[in-house]
Amino acid sequence: MKPLSFLISFLKYSLSFIIVLALWEAYARYGGLNELFLPRPSKIGAKLYSLFVKVEVIEQGTIYWHFYATLAQMSIGFAYGITIGTTLAVLAAFNETFRRYVAPYAVVFNVTPGIAVLPLIIAWFGFGWESKIALATLVCFFPPFINTLTGLLKKNDEAIELFQTIGATQSQYFWKQQLPNALPEIFAGLKLAITTALLGTIVAQFGSATEGVGILMQRFAFRLDMAGSFASLVTMAIMGLLVFTVAEVMDRRIVFWRDAKGLERVSRKKQQKLSANG
Amino acid sequence: MSYSTSQQTKNISIFKTLPFHLLIFAVLIVIWELTNLYGFEDQIQADMIAPRPTNIFLAMLDIFIIDKTVWKHLISTFQKALLGASIGTAIGMGLAIAATLSLTFRKYIKPWIILMEATPRIAVGPIFVALLGFGLWSAVALAALVAFFGPFVNTFQGLMEVDEEAEEMFRSLGASRFQTFWKLRFASAMELISAGWKLATASAFGGALVAEFIQASEGMGVLIAQYVIMITMDYAFAGLLSVTIFGFILFKIMDYFDYRLIFWKNDYLLLKESEKRRKKAGIV
Amino acid sequence: MVATATKAEDQSQFGQTVIEGKNVTKVFGETVTALEGANFDIRAGEFISLVGPSGCGKSTLLRLVAGLIEKTSGDVKVNDDLVTKPRTDIGMMFQKAVLLDWRTAIENVLLPSEMKHRISQEDKDKAMASLELVGLKGFEFHFPKQLSGGMQQRVALARLIQTGADIMLMDEPFGALDEFTRERLNVELMRIVGELKATTLFVTHNIQEAIYLADRVMVMTPRPGRIAEIIEVEFERPRDISIQTSREFNIIIEQVRDTLGSH
Repeated sequence: MKPLSFLISFLKYSLSFIIVLALWEAYARYGGLNELFLPRPSKIGAKLYSLFVKVEVIEQGTIYWHFYATLAQMSIGFAYGITIGTTLAVLAAFNETFRRYVAPYAVVFNVTPGIAVLPLIIAWFGFGWESKIALATLVCFFPPFINTLTGLLKKNDEAIELFQTIGATQSQYFWKQQLPNALPEIFAGLKLAITTALLGTIVAQFGSATEGVGILMQRFAFRLDMAGSFASLVTMAIMGLLVFTVAEVMDRRIVFWRDAKGLERVSRKKQQKLSANG
Repeated sequence: MSYSTSQQTKNISIFKTLPFHLLIFAVLIVIWELTNLYGFEDQIQADMIAPRPTNIFLAMLDIFIIDKTVWKHLISTFQKALLGASIGTAIGMGLAIAATLSLTFRKYIKPWIILMEATPRIAVGPIFVALLGFGLWSAVALAALVAFFGPFVNTFQGLMEVDEEAEEMFRSLGASRFQTFWKLRFASAMELISAGWKLATASAFGGALVAEFIQASEGMGVLIAQYVIMITMDYAFAGLLSVTIFGFILFKIMDYFDYRLIFWKNDYLLLKESEKRRKKAGIV
Repeated sequence: MVATATKAEDQSQFGQTVIEGKNVTKVFGETVTALEGANFDIRAGEFISLVGPSGCGKSTLLRLVAGLIEKTSGDVKVNDDLVTKPRTDIGMMFQKAVLLDWRTAIENVLLPSEMKHRISQEDKDKAMASLELVGLKGFEFHFPKQLSGGMQQRVALARLIQTGADIMLMDEPFGALDEFTRERLNVELMRIVGELKATTLFVTHNIQEAIYLADRVMVMTPRPGRIAEIIEVEFERPRDISIQTSREFNIIIEQVRDTLGSH
């Protein structure tokens, strides 16, 4: 995309933000907005500046430390979650008995609201990182489980018949057809899991923590430091966008056949490789 | 071959599997009970990590029938969730309809929607609690905030995804914009809209609990937290079990509504509805 | 070679000109000429088939007459007024039946009546009669999912009849059906069109179907889309399936193929 048209579309998008922010600021300065409820953007901006640029220390850490802590807790929980989820799914996909008798319990775990289990998790794992990771794992294991399972079990009778007639073994069928065919679902599950893991981490921090953006937000809010809590919210939004983008990019690259652009890209690359070798 | 098509595999009816399910469940409970009694050195530690199923059962009896403590809290959480879901759904659907009908509106809210999608909305919880207090409304607000996204996305997608040929057909009949919107777009979007309602209920439930957990005067979130603080883990488990069962019932009810509403997806319902309409028209 | 209106004597069985096109051209975007310089003159009660490969403009022509799209140049007139938008004296059928899944057959048939006013008992009686006419008596309260493809198209036809239009435009309505169903529906269609004394424009890519049904066949060729030839089909009605194997029929098939082949 040409830089100018990119800039223009960027400005168009930001326009609605800028307008809203400007109106908000005006209402705060001149319209008598109760700043206890909604602090003005300039104050939020100042707080953000203080946190990110002046690297103010709050709750025994800089914003970068809290950011990192949350991200780390989320990632570890995510890693555990997808490992458990996909392993269970693969077992369930290949073993009828397992699927019938064990899989329902995974559904039960999912129906249990993660937040309700939190007090118990804190009692078991303490106030440190472990409880956050544990909750993140609990809330995020289900999407990878159900999606991987659904993806692997996708009925594709005609493909199966094809593989059977060319004499493929189960292993060959798995790697060449079943798994690639399941990738769109699997990655959809992973994307959901990572956003859920972030949610779980933050909520777990509400319980009690020494670091993390969640507890930061909580402390600011309870001290009625609204600029601070909104600044934390913005930080979380940034974190969310980051996580979301990374997940999307990974999804687009690996499951390239989701859309036309991806198909073209890979097709071109393969063509180039062929002509380079030929 | 160890991999087979749907015509090659056999299905087993649920009646054969049910006894096994019950058996496995019973075995797990027994193992749990025994682990508590013999698996730990310290009984207190045992009761904290894995309270005896028997005690949990007794605790359930207590909170539901003997002391009846749980009802007030269940109803409170339920109220908050329902209110939050309704408000969230109304806002979500309203925005979606507006976005469908107006291109300008769609363009301008798009960046906000992306932002909302990426931000963990539940994180606003402490702000709501700090501002709206420990009562009903902070939980309702958080529930609504969390719940609105599902109906918004689903309603929008459902309304935008319109069969081109069906639209052409409506145009060929001289339908007005409103008629096409209501009789075609909205009706064909009902499937997704109903799914959105289910999502809203589930999210609102979770949202209400989070708000209660942060700080509230009553509700299941509060109850469980209290039990944990008092280190009566069997009661805490009982509370957890109650809220799970309750949530499950709620979802099942929503599922049923969806099943009945989108009757044309199911062959059996289709048959029944066909009979009903025939009878209504007075033709045998 | 473009053959325009045929001799006046042969046209005596048909009435006034109902659909008229003068030098109609439709260009999509700036480069795609879907239809160029089409001239046609269709009289009351005629059955006209539009046949040709994809890209020949037959669907475009149909939609121009229907008022669903706008011409780039030329004139399209129906009952002597210029076509600007969809009108109530024209009814359409599409390749897909386009029935609403959540409505029964009769409710689908009543759809056109709902557009203008509240449904009256008269409308309902008419709908029941239309369904009977298309051979679906007893299926009025079935849902589309309970009906086969052929039956769904019959419902679509009943819906068309419900509009009360005596001009029927059909865009490959039987294209998605199997051979046997299609043949049966062709016979049914001819019977119904005869009973209603309708004027019909029928688009298809199947040469046999085109000739079997029509009084005149407009053969169209692509790139750019144009009416290459208009062929008379002079078999007596009602027409039996067996005429498809007759020598005369096959001569016409050859004629059509020739026209298509040379472009």
